[in-house]
Amino acid sequence: MTGSSQFSIPLIHNAVEIMTPFLLAGIGGLFTELAGMLNIALEGLILTGAFFSVVFAAATGSLLLGILLGILCSMLLSLLFGSVTLYLRANVFITGLATNLFASGFTIVLAYHLFKTKGVIQFPNIPRLPAFTVPSFLQRIPLLGDVLFGHNIIVYLTWAIVVLSAIVIYRTPFGLRLRGTGLNEKTIFSLGLNPKRYQLAGILISGFTCGLAGAMLTIQLAAFVPQISSGRGWIALVAIYLGNKTPWGIFAASFVFGLAESFANYAQGATRIPVDFILALPYLVTVAAMILYAIWRHARSPR
Amino acid sequence: MRREKRYWDFLASFTGLALTLAISFSLVIALILLLSATPGKAIFAFFIGPFTNSYYLGNMLNAAVPLVFTGLGISIAFKASVFNLGGEGQIYAGGLAATAVCLALPAANGYLGGVVALIAAMVLSGAIAGLSGFFRMQWNADEMISSFLLSAAVLLIVNHFITGPLDDPKNNLLATLPIGPQYALTRIFPPSKLNVSAPFSLVAAAAVFFFMFKSHAGYEMRMCGLNREFSRYGGINVAAYLVLPMILSGALHGLGGGLMILGTYHATIEGYSFGMGWNGIAVALIAKNNPLGVVPAALLFAYLDAGAKAAMLNADVTFEIAAVAQSFIFFFVTAQALYGFVHRRRRA
Repeated sequence: MTGSSQFSIPLIHNAVEIMTPFLLAGIGGLFTELAGMLNIALEGLILTGAFFSVVFAAATGSLLLGILLGILCSMLLSLLFGSVTLYLRANVFITGLATNLFASGFTIVLAYHLFKTKGVIQFPNIPRLPAFTVPSFLQRIPLLGDVLFGHNIIVYLTWAIVVLSAIVIYRTPFGLRLRGTGLNEKTIFSLGLNPKRYQLAGILISGFTCGLAGAMLTIQLAAFVPQISSGRGWIALVAIYLGNKTPWGIFAASFVFGLAESFANYAQGATRIPVDFILALPYLVTVAAMILYAIWRHARSPR
Repeated sequence: MRREKRYWDFLASFTGLALTLAISFSLVIALILLLSATPGKAIFAFFIGPFTNSYYLGNMLNAAVPLVFTGLGISIAFKASVFNLGGEGQIYAGGLAATAVCLALPAANGYLGGVVALIAAMVLSGAIAGLSGFFRMQWNADEMISSFLLSAAVLLIVNHFITGPLDDPKNNLLATLPIGPQYALTRIFPPSKLNVSAPFSLVAAAAVFFFMFKSHAGYEMRMCGLNREFSRYGGINVAAYLVLPMILSGALHGLGGGLMILGTYHATIEGYSFGMGWNGIAVALIAKNNPLGVVPAALLFAYLDAGAKAAMLNADVTFEIAAVAQSFIFFFVTAQALYGFVHRRRRA
């Protein structure tokens, strides 16, 4: 962390990038959660978006088209997940697992068919994500410079999505009905509305945001790594609960996890602690945060 | 009247399951037709392959054994309405604990040492899962989330022991030192890897069934699963039944992992149990958390894996097609709309 870096605190700067996929998936998952459905399919949706966006970006030569098609594929899978769950009345837990298993198997089956490999597939020719660069004196403002500037465009898009989600959830009729569906389906019925529509909408929104989260993972690397989602969907689910099911809470929870992972990346090179322990650290930090939060809530609650 | 209802229920689940399998298998066939240059060969290998010789058949049955244990572990937890999502880490840690005990006692009697190794596996994995139950009991911290997170950390920590302190320098595989030959469970269907852990898994399924449906504690546990407030009113120690099912669930996962080491691998190999935890959840849900249903559900999963392996060896599709096939079954197996139409016709 010397002056050689263009960022004053690389730890914070990296944390903001690392938290973005969690934040995106968490915000999408919030819509399903508020509609009263457990969405454990986030993981598979991220993986689907990751695979198809980079493959389509390479095939079309266009970043935008690639990301949009990747998001579309993720939304199609979420549509399958949602319609089987809602209209064939299947157990949401097991269809969620099905979505994850399908994504992890299907991306490899397809990768093997298209590229004849089950390993890392590199796409060196895809365009880079444009970054928001500012003059160096602004970038070097402590803390603020690291948090605000120098990230790629998806990071800023994500912040816009968070703000938009907060408005949609708390300030629109759609948001009210979505939350109503989660609180009491019968109320929505009595208004002459169909609660399943709101639940399906929530699932499709999670498909959209998870697709974008996946796109960020692979496009940044210019490569697809099998199982690249590596538990991010689950962490996002944790962030929803830790964030007390609010967009700002999810933002904070994702940042804590991003910071822990950013620190783990830093510590891998800097300390002699075994790598696996360092990689385990973000999970342990999250458990600790979750339990401290539970203790705090427990202490406050009237008995 | 009651008997008649049972008959219709049975018919409904039977036709529903048949429909699920028919849809899933047609989707798999369609996928193979799309992707394979030799679809006939691939389809034959996928569906018939596992039965063509005793090696394939025995290995398929052997692959079902850990799924029986993870399925039983999950069904105990779910029946009590506590959600153990940490199966992956618990089974992985169980294998490591068993290996470590065997390596620490290189000259011990095979039976005695083996039992100690399995107990160690159960204690370690039971403790890991029990911790999440304890957090839930003490501070109402969601056990579903904490068990998943702990498991994700445990997977990495176990990896450290496999490639670090217990690593076998003579072996290029990422694996621990091999355990002593006296610990290897007797093979019962050579040349396959099927061993005495298979009949033992049936005993375990029966034991869990008796615990759940014929014992006092099992009854209390199920009541807590149905309605915790009512159970508290009825004088049941509700808090205990948040922790006990988690401990039992973890212990069964650990036992499954330990038996995989003693019976099949004879060393902890990196990733040896990956997927067993998640598939255990699917097995339990397909079996509707009934311990006796866990056995056929585990066999179905093992069959799909074995079919995909045969298709990979004999044709041009990859092994991961098994995951796709399993996911199709997951999607439809609990779809009540598929089960409902027998009931609708009955009413009509």
